[in-house]
Amino acid sequence: MLKVILRRLIALLISLFLIASATFFLLAAVPGDALSAQTDKLPAATRKQVYQNTGLDQPVLKRYGITMTNMLHGDFGTSIADPGMTMKTVIEEKLPPSARLGLQQILFGVPLGLLLGVLAAVYKNRWVDRGVTVVSLLLMSVPSLILGLLLQSYFGGKLGLFPIIGWPEGSDLWFGGWAYTILPTLAGGLGYIASYARLLKNSMLDVLSSDYVLTARTKGLPGWRVVSEHVIRNAAIPIITSLPVTVAFSITGSVFVESIFVIPGVGQYFVQALTNRDVPIIMGETVLLAALYIVTLFITDLLYMAVDPRIKLYQS
Amino acid sequence: MDIKTKPFSFVNHRSITIQPELSVIPGTTTRSIGYWRASGRKFLRDRLALACAVVLVTLVFIALLGPLLSAADPNQLHVNLQNLAPSAEHWFGTDRLGRDLFTRTCLGIRVSLAVALVATTLAIVFGTVYGMVMAFFGGWLDSLLMRVIEIFNSLPSLLVTMIIMTVLGNGINTMLFALTITSWSGTARQARGLVLQLRKSDYVTAAIMLNTPLWKIMLKHFVPNIMSILILDIGQSIPANIFAEASLSFLGLGIQAPNTSLGILIQAGQDQMLQHPSQLYIPVIVLTIIVLAFNILGDGLRDALDPKFKK
Repeated sequence: MLKVILRRLIALLISLFLIASATFFLLAAVPGDALSAQTDKLPAATRKQVYQNTGLDQPVLKRYGITMTNMLHGDFGTSIADPGMTMKTVIEEKLPPSARLGLQQILFGVPLGLLLGVLAAVYKNRWVDRGVTVVSLLLMSVPSLILGLLLQSYFGGKLGLFPIIGWPEGSDLWFGGWAYTILPTLAGGLGYIASYARLLKNSMLDVLSSDYVLTARTKGLPGWRVVSEHVIRNAAIPIITSLPVTVAFSITGSVFVESIFVIPGVGQYFVQALTNRDVPIIMGETVLLAALYIVTLFITDLLYMAVDPRIKLYQS
Repeated sequence: MDIKTKPFSFVNHRSITIQPELSVIPGTTTRSIGYWRASGRKFLRDRLALACAVVLVTLVFIALLGPLLSAADPNQLHVNLQNLAPSAEHWFGTDRLGRDLFTRTCLGIRVSLAVALVATTLAIVFGTVYGMVMAFFGGWLDSLLMRVIEIFNSLPSLLVTMIIMTVLGNGINTMLFALTITSWSGTARQARGLVLQLRKSDYVTAAIMLNTPLWKIMLKHFVPNIMSILILDIGQSIPANIFAEASLSFLGLGIQAPNTSLGILIQAGQDQMLQHPSQLYIPVIVLTIIVLAFNILGDGLRDALDPKFKK
């Protein structure tokens, strides 16, 4: 058991190393770097100096060595397009808005989705079930990007109820400025309602039709005890195991919602860095987000084994 | 976020007999019909899914033939016809540059659907062949190729797609490449699982003993047996690819103007959202109808094809 987890951890580190290397060489292959637009008009000597300062005058393999070594020490370098920004300041300044947005979306969407899922499973084939099915299919067919645009144009534009863009700053960073957060929260959270309602409904129906529930019923267990002791525990497995990925993804920012609502978060900054060819920031964000994602997948696997001993993932 | 459906267990499709109410014709004895026949009949009885198929086919026809019905040139600028509301002349109105939006929407549907279909086909074909090869040969090749799948599975696909689009330059080919790279691994894993079971069967052993070439075994024995899984995979990944194309083009990381796609139209509509909302609503509604139809169709196909969902 311990051995397989250890093996898995090593595989995880190798994946990360490969992702970082691939990103580095991909970015090195781009024609034109972050500096070329700024320095084209400078005299040759000054240009050379600027390139020396950023280390961009070195050969690719040497830069690769330097970048990877620095990365091991947690140093991703300074932004080229946005002077003074390092990954540390990115995390300090850009992560809180993304994290608040993500948490609000989850707190709004997941409980509502679970509630609707239970109702749909309990009242299967009645109007509650039909309604939930139709609404969740509809919500799943509209990406958060489009939901956001529609909300902006209707509630922000036509009715003028909420500000269309912007995000609370300063003392309002975590609590306050709620009006700004409502539309972005809806844009992302409605999708969670749909996916969690569908997930829980399907897993509950699976459990309800299983033999052990039939056994529990036939031996005369009262309905609520069947549900609390047999149904909920087993139906919760897919929920427990998909929550970590949801949380990790939502906290690190949804690129599209942040872009259309102009929220100064991690996702929007990544798009900005991409358009500016800002190699250190792209590298840093890619490696950190990939690390978070891979670790979350690992935790999910461990959770699978913890909540359901029948599952043995690492037996090969 | 997407929630992966569990791959269902392998069932020998050839030997399924259909339930009495489907096969009993009054006055005759029960006869068994093939898996595909049964699934086809079941699908035809699913009116909603059938309606969605009709909607999709109609949309494709409109996208292909629509520009012929209208005299307007989708790329012709008209200085005096800017931002017109929908009318008999311009069915969907005109955009900021006076271009006819109906013909542009038709072009957009074509590009978006083509990108989604081609990217899905590439990913499914590559993933299936990859999975079949690794399951067929087994051993060290299998474990090596499995490691590759694990790496690709652990990639955050949006980030990777965006980086590839930045590095290789915007355009349809780059986008196809990026979408394929990030989506083939799931199919490969499923194909591997099914072929591992098939490989032990007597008819495959017989085929190997008779020195049948590998491609023939794959085409004759493997592909027909994993076909239902592949169809379900296709049904799930087409909407995902339509989303991806629209979102990336919207951010300026996908297809570029003057080419058009639903994503480009939505992005142009966003600029005019407050003054001329119909420019946003029309492409949004078209995109939603397409994705919704594919989703319902996918559900219908799953009910028809998946032995576990038999009622």
